[in-house]
Amino acid sequence: MPANTTTKKSFLVRYRYWIMLFAALLFLPPLSFLFQFTADSNFCGSWCPRMFFSWRKGMTGGEYLFGFLRSYMGVALVFGILGSTFFFGRYWCSHLCPIGGTMEGGSRILPKFLKINYSGIPASSFRYGYFAVFLIAPAVGLGSLCCNYCNFATVPRIVGAAFSPGDMAYFLRTAGLINLGLVVGLGFIAKGGRAYCNLLCPIGALDALSNRLGLRFGKRISVDGARCNGCNACAKVCPTWSIEMKEKKAEIDQLSCMPCGECEKVCTKEAIHYGKLAR
Amino acid sequence: MIKKIAFFTLAVCISLLGATYRWADSAHSIGLIKASGGEARHPSSVESGKTTYTLISTATVMPPYHGDARVVLEGDPEMDYRIYSSDPVIDFGIRRHPRFRDNILYDLQPKDRIALWVVMKPPVLDPVCGMAYQEGFTKHNSNGKDYFFCSVECREKFIANPWIYRGREYVRGKYTLAFYDTKTEKPVLRVPLIFTGKGEMKDAGEHHH
Repeated sequence: MPANTTTKKSFLVRYRYWIMLFAALLFLPPLSFLFQFTADSNFCGSWCPRMFFSWRKGMTGGEYLFGFLRSYMGVALVFGILGSTFFFGRYWCSHLCPIGGTMEGGSRILPKFLKINYSGIPASSFRYGYFAVFLIAPAVGLGSLCCNYCNFATVPRIVGAAFSPGDMAYFLRTAGLINLGLVVGLGFIAKGGRAYCNLLCPIGALDALSNRLGLRFGKRISVDGARCNGCNACAKVCPTWSIEMKEKKAEIDQLSCMPCGECEKVCTKEAIHYGKLAR
Repeated sequence: MIKKIAFFTLAVCISLLGATYRWADSAHSIGLIKASGGEARHPSSVESGKTTYTLISTATVMPPYHGDARVVLEGDPEMDYRIYSSDPVIDFGIRRHPRFRDNILYDLQPKDRIALWVVMKPPVLDPVCGMAYQEGFTKHNSNGKDYFFCSVECREKFIANPWIYRGREYVRGKYTLAFYDTKTEKPVLRVPLIFTGKGEMKDAGEHHH
């Protein structure tokens, strides 16, 4: 892939892998540093970003609000993510998320022949099918996806299992092995490492909506149609398969795009930029 | 468009299956640790017949309770179990939190949240009298499966009517993860865990939160 070296890329594009690694070190074992400020050791507890907005059948309004209090760091995290995405795009997903970052990092280390390409799946359709059940199933009393299937619970424990029997215990049961399979299959051995993020992450589903809604106000990755020659190089490297060629011009699906800048790096025509979208 | 609808529907179907299906070898309980005996939100259940089970027991300490609590898995027959706590690998000591050592939670304070992972290995039973396997039990193979008996009488009863006893080699019934205050020896939380027969688990979809 010919890299675009004509112009110097921004700090966030050039040092994305280092930022991802730094974020993973802050969040994941053996340091689990950030969690220790709230006497936690992982995302399960006051940092849980998924359970608080899920309404269970039979819940009173007070119990629902108590869930917000119990997961106060998770609430702050999710609202912080949605707010920053609205104005600046999905930097949490592309640079800071220790879960997505670990899966993408793992995928980049593994050899190509192991990778599965999920780009044939229309990501938004699948994602919102999953997200609809994520919200509705507990509300009507059918069961719950959160907790049972959670990469925020699984990835830290994959890393932690090397150090702690408590984390290893997570995998000594069928649900743990299924979660491991999902993280490996849709993360570590997925082309680009972001299939889990793109298809099954509830935070990603909410964040994608914020990304789409803030389009007119915030900064995003966009394609300059006048410069694009339709070479398809950007679509090939997009970890969230959110670039499609339409009439020989690249078009970005803002419901899946995160500003990782991988496309910007390979565009020899300088057609891809991060900034306010032209109206 | 048809492709999009098809994948949306596929995602809904797979997710519904995921949300409703309950894996039978693990359970999650939520409890409140209280000086007056504590509360578990609901009895957790698992299906008998597996070799290993996991109970995830999370609990919050309710004021005014504070102290140390010993954690024990109670039930008959005795079960081999290990309890692990989700503690940071490297503890920077930024905030105080309870410590878990030798099955004792030290320094529980009001509002503390604990998360224990109990990994259990139930014994194989003599399907006739229900005794847990010990050295010296005799083995008998029936339909490709090994059964163990404490005595010749039990084995012969089984051979005469195997269909009556099949399935009884697995642990069934109620176990309790009990938390006892180490000073008063009074329980501060009792979490029931029920080993059910096949197909008897009622709570499809865990009441997790």
